[in-house]
Amino acid sequence: MPRPFGKKASSALPELAVHLFLIMICAAMLYPFIYVVSASFSDPEAIRANRVVLGPVGPLSGKAYDLVFRDQRIWTGYANTLYLAILGTAVNLGVTVLAAYPMSRRNFRGRTFMNLFVSMTMFISATGIMIPLFLVVKSLHLLDTRISLLIVFAANPFFIILMRSFFSTIPEELFEAARIDGATEWTILFRVALPVSGAALATIGLYYLINRWNGYFWAMVFISDPKKLPLQVVLQQLIVTAQMGEELDQSIVKAGTTAEAVKYAAIVVSTAPITLVYPFIQKYFVKGATLGSVKG
Amino acid sequence: MQHRRKAVLLMDQRTLWVMLIPVIVYFVLFRYIPVAGVSIAFKNFSPFLGFFKSPWNGFEYFRQFFSSIYFLRVLRNTLMIGLYYLLFAFPAPVLLALLLNGVRQRTMKKLYQTVTLLPHFVSFVVIAGIAVNMLSPSTGVVNAILGAFGVEPIFFMQRQEYFWGIYTFIRIFKESGYEAIVYLAALTAIDPTLYEAAEVDGAGRLRKLISITLPALIPTIVLMFLVRIGNIVSVSFEEVLLLQNPVTLETSEVISTFVYRRGLIGADYSYATAVGLFETVVALILVVGSNTIARRFKDAASLW
Repeated sequence: MPRPFGKKASSALPELAVHLFLIMICAAMLYPFIYVVSASFSDPEAIRANRVVLGPVGPLSGKAYDLVFRDQRIWTGYANTLYLAILGTAVNLGVTVLAAYPMSRRNFRGRTFMNLFVSMTMFISATGIMIPLFLVVKSLHLLDTRISLLIVFAANPFFIILMRSFFSTIPEELFEAARIDGATEWTILFRVALPVSGAALATIGLYYLINRWNGYFWAMVFISDPKKLPLQVVLQQLIVTAQMGEELDQSIVKAGTTAEAVKYAAIVVSTAPITLVYPFIQKYFVKGATLGSVKG
Repeated sequence: MQHRRKAVLLMDQRTLWVMLIPVIVYFVLFRYIPVAGVSIAFKNFSPFLGFFKSPWNGFEYFRQFFSSIYFLRVLRNTLMIGLYYLLFAFPAPVLLALLLNGVRQRTMKKLYQTVTLLPHFVSFVVIAGIAVNMLSPSTGVVNAILGAFGVEPIFFMQRQEYFWGIYTFIRIFKESGYEAIVYLAALTAIDPTLYEAAEVDGAGRLRKLISITLPALIPTIVLMFLVRIGNIVSVSFEEVLLLQNPVTLETSEVISTFVYRRGLIGADYSYATAVGLFETVVALILVVGSNTIARRFKDAASLW
């Protein structure tokens, strides 16, 4: 459609100023990450003298990475996080689908009750139940197990409601046709509902996955055995409270590098996977965030 | 025929309930039982006696909390961090969305959005770690830059007066890009012919911003504001916990981190649960209060 007077509908701000502002914002957002990568490769002397500001200061050194890759805690943390992320997301999606599907069926008699039963839990304050939840997990003898994290956070009511809303948009005729063919509800779920829900499952699954990957607090509370700690708890010890442990402290001195370089290398090693994958899955997140806003 | 239909229907109902068994077990065990467990706030809970046998204790723990020095401190810190959030971090994504909406080239818009969204996907542990290290007095880049201007090294993380500001700054850095998505969706939903019509009538950029863009955004802003206000007392928990240290507790201890410290570290279960319940009440007051204000605001707006 031709626009009147051949003018493009302009937004409320001058275009050049918009670009300048956004470039400044983006530079500020990228800076900490650039700094961390630069410092992790920089000469330990330059780090100690606080001379790293933007680019790496040479002679470049990979010693910090050497130490990080040789540190058993990082690898154990990675393995535990992969276990929690993969199994955890599977559990999350399973419970979410099992809850959302019946809640979306128009002929299901428990629909109103289940909707209330699930959505009411969205209003529970996390701080309010922090202690009782811990005591429940303790009394079930789940403390210091990785299973505790899998099942205590098996589903998020918000995503159940989101999934239910998605299932309700599937045309009822599809279900009717399957029922006339004598399909049971299980068959309808697996053969009719799930095959057309790929995008919704991907979006919700990715949200669960990121939460699993980045989860810190409850892992720190539930698990004390160093062999079972996920990556984020290991990282917290290494980079936030700077408890390197005697062994690592000694090898830092021996390798002639600094604790800072090792911290930065640990950040790079642990964050690289998610930042490399993220641009490709970004569109699902944008979709998910707007879905949430519409449904409240 | 009628009979068979009915039998099939009953069969279906049963199957649907079977699907829900794990769901119901999960929610009862890890959501509803903990809610019932909040009653230990009114008990003198002892792990040896258990939940049922521990003796009732009335409002003793609430009285203890309210008469302690912690009450005013954690309440003030929680509300001040919330206020900082509402004043500085809440408008940031709105501005970012307005900027992003002003970009006409799709590829550039996507590139800007990819960059501003990035910090949202990095864990708080990593963000807090980067912040603590960048702000370090000896090897932090912030002090290196300040030092170039002759400023003495500042112990940012050890100074109580900086905590609220540092926390809010990091929060803006991490979440603005993500929170902008909702506003951006509202902006792209504006009918472009509105702008064209305004241009025909000779409206400038500012006129269009005030008369078209902002009115279209207001419902989303009010909705998000209500959501945030209910959350301000609890949402910042993990971030605050990672950024605080024993030296800054005077300004950095909020209700939720206090519950964690007293309950999970100090094993003072009943006391901590009472404080947690207090937080729930504060959140409730904020939600109901902001809803009332929003309704007044809506009534007033509809008068014009």
